[in-house]
Amino acid sequence: MDNRLTVAGRELASLRSEKTIVLAILIQLFVAAFSSFLAVGLVSLYDPGSVSNGFVVEFGVSGDASDDLTPVIEAEDGWEAVEYDSYGDAMDDFRGGEVHAVLHVSRSADGRADVEAVAPDGNIRTTLVVTQIRDALAAFERSERARLDSRLERTPIPLPPEGESSPYFGFTYTVLLPLLMFLPVFLSGSVAVDAIAEEYDRGTLELLRVTPLTGTDIVDGKMLAMGLLAPLQAGAWLALLSFNGTSVSNPVEILLLVTGFSVGVVSMGAFAALRFRDRKQAQFLFSMGILVVFSSTYLLPESPANSVAKLAIGSPTTLTHAMVGVYLVVALAGYAAVRRFVGANGLGE
Amino acid sequence: MKPDKTLRIARWEVSKNAGQLDRRTLAAIGVVLVLVAVLTPMVASKGIALDDGIYRVGVAEDSPYHDPVVEDPTFVAVEPDARAFQSGEIDVLVLPDRPPIPARSQKGQAALSELRGSVEAYNDRTMADESDFEAAFPVNVSVRYVEQNASLAASGGDSDDADSTPDDGEVGLGGGESGDGNGGDSGDGDGGSDAGESGDGSESSPSDGAVEAPSVGSGSSLFGGDTAGGTPSDITPPFPFESLVLAFAFVLPMNFVIQAYASSVLNERINDRGELLLVSPVSRGDIVAGKTLPYFLGMVAIATVTAVGIAGLTPAGGDAPLEIARTAAASVAAVVPIALLFLASSFVGAMFARSFKELTFVTVTLSVFLTSYAFIPAIFTDVHPVAAISPLTLVVRVLGGGGLALSDYAFSTLPLYLTAGVLFALGVGVYREEDMFTQRSIPLKFLDALDSQLSRPRSVAKLSALSIPFVFVAELLAVALLFALPVSVSMPVLLVVIAFIEEVAKSVGIYAGFAHARFDRSLGSVGLLGFLSGLGFFLGEKATAVAQLVGLPNLELGRAAFGTVTGLGIETSPLLLAGLLFAPLALHAVTATMTALGASRGRNRYFVALALATVVHAAYNLTVVSYVG
Repeated sequence: MDNRLTVAGRELASLRSEKTIVLAILIQLFVAAFSSFLAVGLVSLYDPGSVSNGFVVEFGVSGDASDDLTPVIEAEDGWEAVEYDSYGDAMDDFRGGEVHAVLHVSRSADGRADVEAVAPDGNIRTTLVVTQIRDALAAFERSERARLDSRLERTPIPLPPEGESSPYFGFTYTVLLPLLMFLPVFLSGSVAVDAIAEEYDRGTLELLRVTPLTGTDIVDGKMLAMGLLAPLQAGAWLALLSFNGTSVSNPVEILLLVTGFSVGVVSMGAFAALRFRDRKQAQFLFSMGILVVFSSTYLLPESPANSVAKLAIGSPTTLTHAMVGVYLVVALAGYAAVRRFVGANGLGE
Repeated sequence: MKPDKTLRIARWEVSKNAGQLDRRTLAAIGVVLVLVAVLTPMVASKGIALDDGIYRVGVAEDSPYHDPVVEDPTFVAVEPDARAFQSGEIDVLVLPDRPPIPARSQKGQAALSELRGSVEAYNDRTMADESDFEAAFPVNVSVRYVEQNASLAASGGDSDDADSTPDDGEVGLGGGESGDGNGGDSGDGDGGSDAGESGDGSESSPSDGAVEAPSVGSGSSLFGGDTAGGTPSDITPPFPFESLVLAFAFVLPMNFVIQAYASSVLNERINDRGELLLVSPVSRGDIVAGKTLPYFLGMVAIATVTAVGIAGLTPAGGDAPLEIARTAAASVAAVVPIALLFLASSFVGAMFARSFKELTFVTVTLSVFLTSYAFIPAIFTDVHPVAAISPLTLVVRVLGGGGLALSDYAFSTLPLYLTAGVLFALGVGVYREEDMFTQRSIPLKFLDALDSQLSRPRSVAKLSALSIPFVFVAELLAVALLFALPVSVSMPVLLVVIAFIEEVAKSVGIYAGFAHARFDRSLGSVGLLGFLSGLGFFLGEKATAVAQLVGLPNLELGRAAFGTVTGLGIETSPLLLAGLLFAPLALHAVTATMTALGASRGRNRYFVALALATVVHAAYNLTVVSYVG
C-alpha cells in the first residue's frame, strides 16, 4: 500500500508544482459564475415574472371586447391595463414606450375573442413581455372558459395558487449541482490518461520499473491520486453550496455516487492510456468513450444527473439508492478489470 | 512562406498519425463512432429529462388533481398522508375540495409552482377533446413584434400605422420562416383574407383555419412556431432552441480536434523531437502552418458535413440543392473563425504547457471559455443585440432561413480572425529551441513570446495595436458577463475593468522589452515607449470604430465600452469632436508612459504603476461617459 501512496503523492505533487489544478478550479468557478448568468437568461425565458422583481407590465388594451379583458389584467398585481379607444392610439403609445405591450381584442362572429398582441422587438424585455402576454391571455382564457362553462362537457381543474419559490430553485438542483458534480470527474479521467501516457511518451517508465514497484502499484497509485481529486472537489462544492444557503440532502450518498463515477471514469482513462499508450489516441478514445457512456446512461431508468438531483433535493426513491449501488459495483468491476489487465500484460516492454 | 514545404510537413503530419494507427485502434475508433451515431438519436428521442420525479405530491386517486400529477414526470404521486406531509416527505398535499397545500419549505413552494404549470397544461389537453371548440379555446391570439422607441430608425417598415399591414412586423418566432416572405408564413392560408379585414384595425385570422392545428405544447416547426393564430399557451418567447442545439453540433467536434492537435504540438517538444525539423532549412512559420493545416482542414470538413446534413434535414432556407449549398457555405464561413481560434489558442497552450496533464487543463479551459464565448451570446439571438458578438448567432440565423449580411459577418468574425492570427504569431515566436525544450515558467514564456515580436521601440506600437483584438474579446466577455446586472452597477464596474484590460494590453509589451533588457531604461526612452504604445493602441482602436458603425449601437454597455474611445456617434460641436478624437491619444500616451516608467523599475513598481494608470483611465472614461451620456 505504501508504494501506491508514494506514487499517488508524487502525482499530486507534480500537479501542485505546475499549479494547473488552479486552472481546474478556475474552470469550475467560471462554470458556476456563468451558469448564474445562464440561469438569469434561461429562467427568464421560462418564468420571467419572478425575475422582474416588481416590474409592472403595462398592457395597452383596445378593441370592442376590451371590457372583458381589462378586469382580468387588473386582478393581478404585476399587471396594469391602460384602455385605449382605438388600436392606433394604443400603438402610438406603445411606440413611444408608454406601454409595454398592446392587446387588441375583438369578438369574432362565433363569439371567440381574437387578440392581436404586440410585443417589443429586439429588446431585452421582449422575452419577459411575451411571457407576461401569454400569462395574461391564459388568465383571460380561463375566465372566458368559466363564462362559457355551460357549453363545455368537462370543467377545467382550478389552478393551484402560485408558489413563492425562487425560479432558480429547480435549476440549482437539476442542472447546476449535477454539472458541478460531474465536471471534476471528467477532468480526473482525462488527467489519468495523461499521467500514464506521459510515462510512456517520455520514456520515464524505465526509471519507475527499476524501483521495487510492480506495474499494478504504479497504476494503482496514479489512479488513486486522480480518483481522489474528483470527490474532493465535489465535496468542496457541496460545502460551498450549503454555505450559500442551498440545502443539500444526502451529501454522503451523492459523494458515494461521485466516487463511483470517479473510479469508473479514471479506470476507463487508465485503460485507454495503457492500451493505446499514445496520448492523442488515448485521449480521443477516452473522450468519445465518455460521450458514449454518459449518453447511454440516459437510457437507464434513471440517469446519473437525475439521481444526483433527486438525492440533493431530498426525493430519492428506492431506485435511486439502487442505482448508486449499481454505479459503485460497475465502477469497482472496471477497476478490477484494469488491475487484471496490468497484472496480465504488465506495463509493456 | 513556401507552400511546397508547408504541404510536405502537412503530409508528414497526416502520414505519421495514420502510421500510428494499427488495426485494433482503428477498430476501437470505429466502434466508438458507431456507438455515438447510434446512441445520439436514441437519447435525443427519449429526451433529456433532468427533473424527473423530484417532487412528491400526496394526492388521492379520485382527486381531480391525480391525473395531471401522474401525467407529469416531474412529480411522484403518493398517498395523501398528513404525517408524511408534516415530516417533509410530501411536498404538496392535495385534500378533497381544497386547493393544494405546499409544504413549508422552499421545495414545497417550488413544487406548487410546478404543479400550477402542470395543471394548466393538463387543462389545455383535456379541452382539446371538447366537441365545442370555440368554448374550449375561446381566445385566439397572434403576436407581432414591433420596435419600440424607434424614432431614429427611419426604416419605413413599421413606421406606418401598423394596422394596415399586419405582416411586415410579424416575426415567426425564432426567425422561423419570416426571412423571405410576407404573408406566406402565416401557415394556414390566412394571408389572403387578412387584407380585406384589416380595415377594422385588427388582424383577425379566420379562426377555424388557423386554429385547427394548435398542436398544444409542441412547437409547430423545427425552428420555433409561427405565431399567427393560436391559443395563449401556443405563445412561446423568441428562443431559437433547436437552432442552438444544431449550432452546438458545430462546436462540439472542435473540442476533440484540438485535443489531438495540442497533443501533436506538445509531442514535438518532448525529448527534443522537434529539433530535427527546427534545424532543417524550413522556416518556423512553415513548420507551424504545415502541422496546423491537416487539423484545420479536418475541422472544416467536419463542419461542412454537419452543415450540409443540417441544411438538408431542416430546409428552412429552401430545399433546392443550390439553397442547401448556400446555407451550408454560409454556416461554414461563420464557423471557420471559431475553428481558427480554437487551433490558435490550443497551439499557444501546447507551446506553454509543461506536461500532458497541464495541457489537459489548458485545453479543457480553452474549450469551456471558447464554447461559452461562442455559445452563450447566441442564446440571445433575436432577443438582444449582445448576440451579435458571436459567429454562432450567424449560424443560427442562417439555419433559420435568414441571410448573412457582410457587415454582421465582419463584426462578429473579425475579432476572432485577428485574435487567431496574433496568437499564432505569438506561438511561432516561441517555436524555437530555448523555449520549446526547456522548462521555463509560463509568465517567462509569455514574456519571451512578446519579446520575440519586439526588435526596436517602434515594435511596441505594433504590439499595442495587435493587442486590440484581445482587448476587444476581453471587453466583450466583460460586457457579456455584466450585462445581466442593472446598469447602475454594471457600468462603473465595466469602466474599471475596461481600463484595466487596456492598460495591461498597452504595457505588457513594454514590460517584456524591459525584462529582456531590450530597451534603455532612461527617462527619454521610457517616454518614447509610452508614447509609441499609446499611439499604437490609439490607431488600433480607431480601426475598431468599424464596430461603432455596424454593431452594438443599441446596447448601452456597448456604447460605454467603445463609444468613449472612438468619439463616433456623438453629436456635438466640431471643436469638441476634435477634442474627443485626440483626447484618447493623450490619455493612452500618458497612462502608457506611467506604466512604462513602472516597468523600467522592476516588477513591483510595474504593478503599482498599472494600478495607478487604471485609476486614471477609469476616471477619464467615467468623465466622458457621464459628460456624453
